[in-house]
Amino acid sequence: MNIQEYISSGIVESYVLGLADEAERVEFEQMCTRYAEIRAARDAFELSLEQHAMAAAVAPPTQLRETILQQFTTEPAVSINPGAPVVQLRPIRRSTASMAMRYVAAAAIILLAGSAILNIYYFNKYREYSRRYDQLVAQQAELALNNKAMQTRMGGYERTIAGLTNPNMAKIYMDASAVPAGSPAPGSQATVLWDTRTKDVYLMVNNLPEPEAGKQYQLWAIVDNQPVDAGMLEMDKGRMMVKMKNIPRAQLFAITLEQEGGSPTPKGPMYVMGKV
Amino acid sequence: MGITLTYTEQELVSLLRNRDNKAFAYLYDNYASALYSIILQIVNDAELANDVLQDVFVNIWRRIEQYDTGKGRLFTWMMNIARNASIDTLRSRSYQNSRKNQSIQENVDTLAATDVLQPGVDSIGLRKVLERLRDEQRTLIELAYFKGYTHEEIAELEKIPLGTVKTRIRNALIQLRALLR
Repeated sequence: MNIQEYISSGIVESYVLGLADEAERVEFEQMCTRYAEIRAARDAFELSLEQHAMAAAVAPPTQLRETILQQFTTEPAVSINPGAPVVQLRPIRRSTASMAMRYVAAAAIILLAGSAILNIYYFNKYREYSRRYDQLVAQQAELALNNKAMQTRMGGYERTIAGLTNPNMAKIYMDASAVPAGSPAPGSQATVLWDTRTKDVYLMVNNLPEPEAGKQYQLWAIVDNQPVDAGMLEMDKGRMMVKMKNIPRAQLFAITLEQEGGSPTPKGPMYVMGKV
Repeated sequence: MGITLTYTEQELVSLLRNRDNKAFAYLYDNYASALYSIILQIVNDAELANDVLQDVFVNIWRRIEQYDTGKGRLFTWMMNIARNASIDTLRSRSYQNSRKNQSIQENVDTLAATDVLQPGVDSIGLRKVLERLRDEQRTLIELAYFKGYTHEEIAELEKIPLGTVKTRIRNALIQLRALLR
């Protein structure tokens, strides 16, 4: 076959424009692979057709561009390469997952360390407050005791004041100067308060020296020249009025220093004495 | 007019095969107008041409794997997609219905009076070149290229022997090539 004749037969244009039938197409494609001249003729016609088409171009409506191109961003690769994107995505997913896990792990470690530090801090705080609490409880108990003692003393003083101001109370002042044989402590003074209705005797020490160890002051009522025990003195009561024994009748009251616990009859020295 | 490409055809094709959206935008910007012109010459209706242009780009997107660089230029491949899509649209049932079920015979009879003489469309592209051909050659190219009829269909329609149809079309194409240079 003469190549030039073949080229100029119109087969090139027929093929390129899509007008050749199946047999012509197959033949032309075979000829193209064998003869560079035929390929060159085909390329030349294609190029002139393309240039002519470009020159004759008519712009489509501008909004069409976006409509068409948007389809490709929304339409995934259909049927051509269904596997490829999935294969590409997997390692990306894996790496993002491990990054997320790394952040979670880091956050967990930080939280754990923070928690441990807080535990130590709060345990120390707990111990400190626990110690302070024990101190406060001890202080409170002490204060309560003090308070009770103070109340007891207050009650004593209140009774003393009530006794002193009671019009039914006879007051017998006992003095060291009234002691016939002379008192070992000349400045000693004490007062007996004697309830004229109940005959209860109360004693209030104004001034008596602290007795030596093993000794105790004892109050006596002198009834018809016979001494009657009227009770023992507790020196820790201060100037409070202390209830003694009930003495229905007496002419004198006196205090002697006796053995601790008292004596049935006075044996020790007399410190003060007073007449009813 | 020269064609200025920032991609070589091969680069463009491989990008298109990778579904590169920028490459499709580039393709549209460089070729949509030329393809739109070809579509217009066949469907002869701007609204219809818009739909066909969409089909053409969807077909390019879906069938780019089938494009064989050894068999011709990318533009030639796209041009044939545009031509086929246009002819398919004209032949689609809905379009035929809208044209009141004209038979092939009636269609051919009205050809000279309507389609070929549409103002505007015959002054662009290949149609403009066709004007310089003899009437009988122009009718054959019209039927074969713009209507998509086979040589056998044309022989039947024009009542001329198949061999004569082939020869006349070949001669018309040879003249067309000379006119395009």
